[in-house]
Amino acid sequence: MKDRRDFLLNLGIGSGLAALGAQTVASMRSLVPNVSYDSPTTVKIGMPNDFADGLKFLPDERLFVFREGNTFHAVSAVCTHLGCTVRAEALSQPEVKTVEGQSLRLTHRFLCPCHGSKYGGDGSNVSGPAPKPLAWYHLSISQDDGQLVVDLARSVERDFRLTLA
Amino acid sequence: MSTDTPEPKATFSAAAAEAPGFHPRRFWSWRPLSDRQSGDAVVSNFLLHWFPAKSYRASFAWSYSFWLGTVSAALLLLLTVSGLPLLFLYIPSVERAYASVKDIEYVVTFGSWIRAVHRLSAHGMVIAVALHLVRVYLTGAYKNAAGGGQRRQWNWVLGVAMLLITLFLSFTGYLLPWDQLAFWAVTVGTNIASSVPAIGPMMRELLIGGREIEQPTLIRFYVLHVLFLPALLGLLFAYHMWRIRKDGGMAAVDRAASTVPAAPVKTKSYTLMGIARGASVQVEAAVDEGGKEGIRSSPHLVRRLAVVFIRLLGSVQALMAIEFTLGGALRGAGDTRFPLFVVLAGMVVMRLGTAVTLNALGFSVEWIYAALIADYVVKGAMLIWRFRSGHWKTVLAREPAPVSSPIEPSEA
Repeated sequence: MKDRRDFLLNLGIGSGLAALGAQTVASMRSLVPNVSYDSPTTVKIGMPNDFADGLKFLPDERLFVFREGNTFHAVSAVCTHLGCTVRAEALSQPEVKTVEGQSLRLTHRFLCPCHGSKYGGDGSNVSGPAPKPLAWYHLSISQDDGQLVVDLARSVERDFRLTLA
Repeated sequence: MSTDTPEPKATFSAAAAEAPGFHPRRFWSWRPLSDRQSGDAVVSNFLLHWFPAKSYRASFAWSYSFWLGTVSAALLLLLTVSGLPLLFLYIPSVERAYASVKDIEYVVTFGSWIRAVHRLSAHGMVIAVALHLVRVYLTGAYKNAAGGGQRRQWNWVLGVAMLLITLFLSFTGYLLPWDQLAFWAVTVGTNIASSVPAIGPMMRELLIGGREIEQPTLIRFYVLHVLFLPALLGLLFAYHMWRIRKDGGMAAVDRAASTVPAAPVKTKSYTLMGIARGASVQVEAAVDEGGKEGIRSSPHLVRRLAVVFIRLLGSVQALMAIEFTLGGALRGAGDTRFPLFVVLAGMVVMRLGTAVTLNALGFSVEWIYAALIADYVVKGAMLIWRFRSGHWKTVLAREPAPVSSPIEPSEA
């Protein structure tokens, strides 16, 4: 039997449920951040001359910066397995390898303390559970003060080099 | 107490309690004088109102259930009780969280005791709940019995959900001290969550409130830990207990309640074969072996099986020694794949293959030991061959060159 009373009853229940649903959606949506307070992805890491030849580890950025003469490149220290920070270990005998068509002097290898992943000096995953190579990040020179700038949101191919004039 | 004061206990004598028209209600009594008095405690006491009026003695057997459900519930109570003071003492901010936990440990009176109770109960509860699940599985308590309206499978589902919530409570509690262990455990844990296909990275971002483990992560984990998950667990706990009542009662209730059926002779063996070949869990047989002439299967049959097992195990000791020493040596030398292959070959091909074959041919259960021997013979032979071939000497040569000292982190 459908009369006005049933209709109003259903309308009332329906409105109540709709309100509850909208409130739930609003609650859930409020938990998705609109503004990120994460640390910035583009970071000035210092003047090029602060970097000696070889490797420098930046713990805040979890980054290895390599310098060879006037060329620079940056390799992430974040293990691609579950995100621990890998450790650099100097090779007793550095070797030169061609990576992506570019010759690269391998001075270190990288070891993850959490689950034993090993990476070669170019960041390639050699053994352990790591599913892919360590990321390489884009380096540039800041226009305003000449500092090195790393873009942690922009991974690059392994033939990337920043060469200073 | 003066002598002329009426003795209050006299009011509750057996005769008085049974007297018509007289029904004193008692809040609680260690030694109730009648069923009614006992039942009154359940009816009039809020804390006990979810208990049945009566239960079977067999349900209380430690050897049957190990009281694991009760242990889990008691640990949950202990966690709640020890968690309440911690709510007043812990500060969920990245600047102060570590210091506040340190204060709880070293400054607050009884603080370290309360936190230790909370932490150890949490460890204990994960263990107790997991063992409870194993017990329910092994005693078949998840299966419906004869009684009507039973939906015990639902309580299994509820139990699994509660196990997951217990684990998630442990995980969220792990982050709160905001130390290195917490940080990296949650780094690893949330990265595991993000490996879920398609929605994984989104789930991780929602869980930690951004890309990095920072203040949004701490407050999210804190609220989940102290409010959302305990409330959910409490609701499910109530539902779990209610279903126990609906489904017949506590552990072993079917066994305690059923009488031995008369007409077809059912043996006292409850086996998988009973299900596979008949309509009953029990094995039906022409002769009841448990009659007067029978001897006790336990310990006699058990003893025979043990003797056979020990003798056969003794005869494969040499092969087992080869597996342990040569397998270990090869793994140590870096030749890890071959021993893995050998273990798989032995286990899957020889042990399982032989067992399935013998079973299909109708051999008795004891012949399972033949499969075990076959396994070790094959593993021993393969490992000896590998060791003598000398491949393991060259495996490590493919690794990167030997190491020097690790790099110290430089100042940023």
